[in-house]
Amino acid sequence: MPEKAVVKGLAAAERLYQDYGVRARELKEQGQKILGYLCAFVPLEIVTAAGFMPFRIKGDVNEPITKADTEMETIVCPLVRSCFDMALKGNYDFLEGIVIPHACDSICRTYDVWKYTLNLPYAHFINMPHTTGDSSLDFYRDILNTFRTSLGRFAGKEISDQELARAVELHNRQRAKVRELYELRKASPPLISGEEVARVLIAAISIPVAESIELLGDVIEEVGQRGRAPAPKKARIMVIGAQVDSIAFIKLIEDSGAWVVADDLCPGAREFMSSVDLTADPIEGIAERYLRKVKCGRTYREMKGNYEEDLEDRFGHMRRMIDDFKVDGVVLYIYKYCDPFGFEVPQIKSYIEAKGTPVLYLEDEYSMSTIGRLRTRVQAFLEMLG
Amino acid sequence: MTEEKKPEERKKRRTATEAASKIGPMVKAAIGGTVQAREEGKPLAYSFICCCYDEIIRAMDVIPVWTENYAGVCGAKRDAQRFLERAEAENFSRSLCTYALCGLGFDAWREELGEMPPEAPWGGQARPDMMLGSGQMLCDPRNKWYQAAQQYMPDVPVYDVGLPWPPYEDDYDYREVQDYYVKYIVAELKGLVQFLEKHTGRKMDWDHLSELVDLTDRTWNLIWETYELRRAVPSVMGTGDAMNTMVPMVFMMATQEAYDFYQELNDELKHKIANKEGEIPDEKYRLIWGGGLPSWFALSDFNYFNSKGAVFPVEVTYRMIEATYNFDMDLSKVTDPLEHIAWRWVKFWTYWYDRARKRPGSHPDVERLIKYIEDYKIDGIVMHEAFSCRSWHVGLIWQLNMLKKVYKDIPSLILESDIVDISSYNEADTKARIDAFIDTLEAVKSR
Repeated sequence: MPEKAVVKGLAAAERLYQDYGVRARELKEQGQKILGYLCAFVPLEIVTAAGFMPFRIKGDVNEPITKADTEMETIVCPLVRSCFDMALKGNYDFLEGIVIPHACDSICRTYDVWKYTLNLPYAHFINMPHTTGDSSLDFYRDILNTFRTSLGRFAGKEISDQELARAVELHNRQRAKVRELYELRKASPPLISGEEVARVLIAAISIPVAESIELLGDVIEEVGQRGRAPAPKKARIMVIGAQVDSIAFIKLIEDSGAWVVADDLCPGAREFMSSVDLTADPIEGIAERYLRKVKCGRTYREMKGNYEEDLEDRFGHMRRMIDDFKVDGVVLYIYKYCDPFGFEVPQIKSYIEAKGTPVLYLEDEYSMSTIGRLRTRVQAFLEMLG
Repeated sequence: MTEEKKPEERKKRRTATEAASKIGPMVKAAIGGTVQAREEGKPLAYSFICCCYDEIIRAMDVIPVWTENYAGVCGAKRDAQRFLERAEAENFSRSLCTYALCGLGFDAWREELGEMPPEAPWGGQARPDMMLGSGQMLCDPRNKWYQAAQQYMPDVPVYDVGLPWPPYEDDYDYREVQDYYVKYIVAELKGLVQFLEKHTGRKMDWDHLSELVDLTDRTWNLIWETYELRRAVPSVMGTGDAMNTMVPMVFMMATQEAYDFYQELNDELKHKIANKEGEIPDEKYRLIWGGGLPSWFALSDFNYFNSKGAVFPVEVTYRMIEATYNFDMDLSKVTDPLEHIAWRWVKFWTYWYDRARKRPGSHPDVERLIKYIEDYKIDGIVMHEAFSCRSWHVGLIWQLNMLKKVYKDIPSLILESDIVDISSYNEADTKARIDAFIDTLEAVKSR
């Protein structure tokens, strides 16, 4: 059995967050093989079923991007550049391989740069389709089976249906725990801050899924014991964006006098709210979940009905979250050079505003150097909310 | 006010071939034709290049409105800024694809006015009846742009064609997976036919489609043979011209007009070769345009290269064809037109994979550069990094590093600007960088 962290709950999350990859490094020394991945679209169930620990590669807003620029153009989204920079600087030297999905141009078009520059023993590209129709789902099943075979070859084993089913069940338990954690945000005041949630989720994507379930359970228990002291009313904020893998921006909002109670982010609601159905062929359920249930701008959802119905299909989950978590204002936090989200900004903004919730759109560059400018904008927004 | 901004005066580029000089009027006529077609009630579709649906829309008599082309025209006429600014005012980031921003800004403006924006270049971009996007490994705007355009045209339906191709991987050969890729593409193309039938009220003429598929194969092969003529020394046609002669390849494929254009170009190049008629009198350096779309507003930079004795007999950009008879399968035996299109697509994108396998540590994109460097007797490589486009402009630095690693060190230059947004362009800086590059080429030659 792997050695367990000596601290629990929020303290454990803090340790895992501050020293990102610390647990992976410990496990590597114990013989665990670890596969790094980008984005929410790598089917982690297959990685887990093959016996690898999936490890989410993240960037660092505090670290200037330097080495990456020798191999990767600065027109790539700054998050991906930062992730690559961290990898080149040896932060993820425990990885046995990488798995990169067909997520967005910045990820897809840099796959070869990652693969050839890191030169790890294993690399695989998940060629996920952009569309969600039946033919796309059939194709995606084939893509997942190619990955299953490929990873099985690398692992020296055939990945069985039973192993996949167990992995599905495990990852679903983790998602259920996150949903349970989110329930604690519905109270007024929320029982857990947005900053704490972000820290826990970022920690959770850096450790084995079984350990993350335990971590989440400990945090839920710890937070549940907090007293419900009355607090002055603050604006309840939802943040929408791509991968926000630092607490900095969430903290900025809360330090400005608001509660971040909801999100559509990675890691966050986007990737933890939906589960995989347990199907006779586990690949069926996995394909359905990643292609159709995870709602992200990278996936083109075929138009159903008229334009308004299409917007509801694409963004209705955001509206439901605004209602369920009693959100007063939304911050649309988008990185420069982000094609999937950048094109959606006007539609998301007008859709949410039409439902009566104010939206602040901020474009950022994934760097602490912009925090001062962002703070001014956020403070003005909060003042407007009153 | 953006509406009051006037386009800057632009310099006309000097072409080497008669064929290239005909392109401007052809494009102007084509764009004007779409506006006319709109007035006549013919079905129009916003379309992207390189989506392998050329034969299908031509067979259905649907008129393509090439939105990338129109943005490029606005860029070339130095009249894109007002549309970019309009898109920015709509909350689209200026870091996004400027083809898309130009188009979205134009659409927002046209729909607001109910008519073309004032002094719209070449009569403007006609309102479509449908929009045909695509999901590829190439370009996010292909499935985001038209979706975003629906906020201005909510009544205009979109069909998004899934068009993947197998990636180059070490852990399996693409032939292991190509069948299911083709099966998927065929299903997606069938969906496109159904979509077009529904929205035009017409039925596909499958025999006509087969004829156009055959015409397209022949056009591909003719283009390949024509471009191979450019191996000649001195160079008879440069990349500056190729940025014009690509028009029939990407905007007029599956038409007899395109085939005839390349036949004329082929004849012209043969004539020039026979007469040793180079594009410049004193050719010193042979360069490859190794990646990136051009700055449409600064095509005269190719003339500046020429003035320094540099020519571009080859480019990877817009060489979107291979000779179908060089594929590892007999494409002529695939008689179903949709299957034929799908196989051609997959074989095009995997064409360089086998060469890459033969050189340890290599990659298809790098192998293509190496082959062209050798075939066209290349001294140096020039690329362009357009800040707004991650499709064609990511991986350039890495390719140059790889080239050095698996092949040889070759003088290289990466220019930085954009495809449409002229505010990213600095003419003096660009020329200074070209001058320095020419010095490097000279130094290498003198060794």
